[in-house]
Amino acid sequence: MSKRASLGTLIRNGILLENPIFRLALSLCPTIAVTNKLRNGFLMGLAVLFVQVMVNLTISALRKFIHPRIRLPIFMLIISGWVTVVDMLMAAYARAAYKEMGLYIELIVAFASILARAELFASKNEVVPSFMDGIGQGVGFLFALCIISFFRELLGMGSLWGHAFVSSKPLLIMVLPTGGFFAVGILMGFFNWIDMKFFGGSGASGAAGH
Amino acid sequence: MTSKDIIKITLNLVIIYVVGGLILAAVYAKTEPVKVLKAYQEKQAALKEMMPEAKEISKMGVWKPHDKEAEYYIAKKDGKTIGYIIETYAKGYSSYIDMLIAVNDAFTVEKLNILEQHETPGLGDEVQQPYFQNQFAGKTLAHLVVVKVPTKVDIQAVSGATISSRAVTDDGVKKAVEMLKDKLSSEVKNEQAG
Repeated sequence: MSKRASLGTLIRNGILLENPIFRLALSLCPTIAVTNKLRNGFLMGLAVLFVQVMVNLTISALRKFIHPRIRLPIFMLIISGWVTVVDMLMAAYARAAYKEMGLYIELIVAFASILARAELFASKNEVVPSFMDGIGQGVGFLFALCIISFFRELLGMGSLWGHAFVSSKPLLIMVLPTGGFFAVGILMGFFNWIDMKFFGGSGASGAAGH
Repeated sequence: MTSKDIIKITLNLVIIYVVGGLILAAVYAKTEPVKVLKAYQEKQAALKEMMPEAKEISKMGVWKPHDKEAEYYIAKKDGKTIGYIIETYAKGYSSYIDMLIAVNDAFTVEKLNILEQHETPGLGDEVQQPYFQNQFAGKTLAHLVVVKVPTKVDIQAVSGATISSRAVTDDGVKKAVEMLKDKLSSEVKNEQAG
């Protein structure tokens, strides 16, 4: 990714070519845990977007000041600081959502996707591109969580955003963890296919992390 | 690593910790009062909903189901006790089920409200559905029994979720009502003895 990449390119990269979940295969563990309902997936995506942007900004601004030997501990401190801010804000202002996802919010600290962008991009780039990269990656994450939870809630509960379309539960397995693997696997395959078909990629995803 | 590096690393860490700590403290100072206030209001609203006819609901005491702190309340109207509300935690299949139970002064269950649970989606979490919870209204201790067939007098289990149904009924409602009965009768004894 060049330094002068435009916001559009970065967002396109975040959603498609370098999507943290479908292409880079990062942070799959929390992805499967929270995506059984569209609302949960969406809120988690928003929280990650916020944390990713703030972390990228902070690290990019401080990158000359941070000693390379202790950059990872400092990145972790910055990430956990921002996650704690999100956690406290949600506990006060979005209580209904917090009750359902409070546990997962704290897990954002350990998201490989956030640390990966901090190390690979923000620590080497100016503030503005880092900000855009944060937006691109965050939107990509949000997009991935929404699309996974869209299919899981629709197929598993027969509802979307809590509104039921059918009284029965068509494919209950989709809201259970097993269904999470199915949904992520099939969608990952689909995005690899898009990459091969339209962007001339090799179709291989990056290294996996949790 | 030179001593210059060591000084730089130390400074790095100190500054990040101090600044980060200050930011967190500021956010905490701003959000904590809002959080506490909202939690209190939610609790009051939930209690009120349990017994809408009560004029005054006040805390009676604390008990410890599964070592978790839970409160129970006395509900009054025009100075007369009309019932009690008990909070309890029942050990379900995959989570502790947090619930409020309203009983009248004859210990008949008036209402059950499951506040929070993390039972299996689609199976155990059906206990939160009105069709299951509404069965508890009007039940006395003798009829807090889970059966697996359609019933009008007992509690019918959610199909496929007997463990969660039993947890709500036996470990939750039944234990809570028995606890209340116990506490109240020992209070009466104490008064007579005193």
